[in-house]
Amino acid sequence: MKLLGLTLLELKSLVETKKISSKELFEYFLKRIKKYNPKLNGYLTVCDYPRNNIAAGRLVGIPIAVKDNYCTKGIRTTASSKVLDDFIPPYESTVTQKLLNEGMIIMGKANMDAWAHGASTETSDYGVTKNPWDTTRYPGGSSGGTAAIISSYLAPAGLGTDTGGSIRHPASWCGIVGLKPSYGRSSRYGLVAMGSSFDCPGPMGTSVEDISLLLQIFAGKDPYDATTVNIKVPNYLKEIKLNKKIRIGVAEEYFDGVDEGIKLNVNRAIKIFTKMGHEIKKVRLIHPKFSISVYTILQRAEVSSNLSRFDGVRYANNRTFFEKEAKKRIMLGTYTLSHGYYDAYYKHAQKIRTLIVNDFKRIFSEVDLVIGPNTPVTALKIGEFKKYPFFGELMDQLNEPASVAGIPAISIPIGLDKNNLPVGLQIMGKYFNEETILNLAYQFERETEFFGVIKKGVERYK
Amino acid sequence: MKKSNLSKKEVIHLAKLAGLNLTDKEIEDIRKKLSETLNYVDNLNQLNTESVIPTSQTTDLVNIFFQDREKNTRGLKPEEALNNSKNKKNNYFIVKRIL
Repeated sequence: MKLLGLTLLELKSLVETKKISSKELFEYFLKRIKKYNPKLNGYLTVCDYPRNNIAAGRLVGIPIAVKDNYCTKGIRTTASSKVLDDFIPPYESTVTQKLLNEGMIIMGKANMDAWAHGASTETSDYGVTKNPWDTTRYPGGSSGGTAAIISSYLAPAGLGTDTGGSIRHPASWCGIVGLKPSYGRSSRYGLVAMGSSFDCPGPMGTSVEDISLLLQIFAGKDPYDATTVNIKVPNYLKEIKLNKKIRIGVAEEYFDGVDEGIKLNVNRAIKIFTKMGHEIKKVRLIHPKFSISVYTILQRAEVSSNLSRFDGVRYANNRTFFEKEAKKRIMLGTYTLSHGYYDAYYKHAQKIRTLIVNDFKRIFSEVDLVIGPNTPVTALKIGEFKKYPFFGELMDQLNEPASVAGIPAISIPIGLDKNNLPVGLQIMGKYFNEETILNLAYQFERETEFFGVIKKGVERYK
Repeated sequence: MKKSNLSKKEVIHLAKLAGLNLTDKEIEDIRKKLSETLNYVDNLNQLNTESVIPTSQTTDLVNIFFQDREKNTRGLKPEEALNNSKNKKNNYFIVKRIL
């Protein structure tokens, strides 16, 4: 039976109809991991047996790759930092608990930029993850491990986190689907905190249906996370199949500084949406370059505060184990929060944040969604990172506005550039309106099959 | 546009506040990179923020409380809570002497 490239839902059907057992499915992925992971370095920790006995649920027998900043009880969790080298969480994050309750199997913990600081996975203390499309290149980050794992089919789906683009960016560079839900849609309880007013747990996978199912299961209010909202979680699987005609905004500000190859693919996608009967409207939005500054200041300030808990007393190694990138960010954050600079930087950035929030609120009274390129370039060669003073934030420039505003956004693969590297399209939507984003993404998937990008990527790892 | 240039003294002071040990080379590297970053974010001065209220989070939620008599199902036993500590004794964390 050919399993290569089957979606989560297809595998689920095989398990339910007993055409394959949970154990056999686990062994299948374990074998592939033993073969390909040493080169790709997607997984940091691989579970050697399925650790979930739940026999009834929507995810029974399904192995999922979990980014290593989710606390998984009894399973080593490092956030890719030597500070947490031997940390074994005594509790489970809410998101992974909800999936475990449905029978999900944790396949392993995925590599990332250490503390999620970056857009390349190069700042991991355990080595960079290679992009499965070209192993001399980055997979993107910070959820680069999860993205590479899915792209090379070492798991059918996975979890990432998106603070300033960390799900959407690697989804783009590895040619898979990745969603950042609205801030407050799902619980951050049990996530190693980066920017507490930005962090969003989110699903990554090979099909829109798969990530819709995952979101449906783990979204929702959590009494243990006071920033989760009390808004009913829709039946996303139903919503994506509705025959909606959507008003789509395109902002030229988001094409500034973007590679020609990416623009070509995005313009092709726009033509397809027009052909499908959706209305395309030119809109104006605040230039992403301001979001870079807002995000850099606020995120690094929140990082400096969140990482102050790592004192090596109650758990983990001490602060001498922090590496270069973490130290840099803690230092900038400390500076912008310090006496004499707080107003000029932190408070000022919070005011611009209000402008950006209001800008999106305004635009979403005119259109339902805004689309555009997801990244300014496709996957860069390993080593490029050193050329930039704040590489992560610059790479994520097109993703940061949505992070700053807290609105949901997805990256879907829409083609390849002339170097045979995946190109992603970003679709941004209204607060807590993930269903419209997923609906349009699903329509595009049905119409184009993402131009075979995902299939092509998986076939490279037959 | 004012140019930001952190001094070595400022960087050393910040490192102390942040509880980080930095080598001389790291201090210089961070000094340069921080200055570059601060110069970039200066572009925020191009936008008018007069009478704009700062946003600290985007959900519009206010005053969310955990109910007093609600059962805490996620408490940790002492052994669990201390399991990852490298310095412990009799269910206590060992810390540096304060007085």
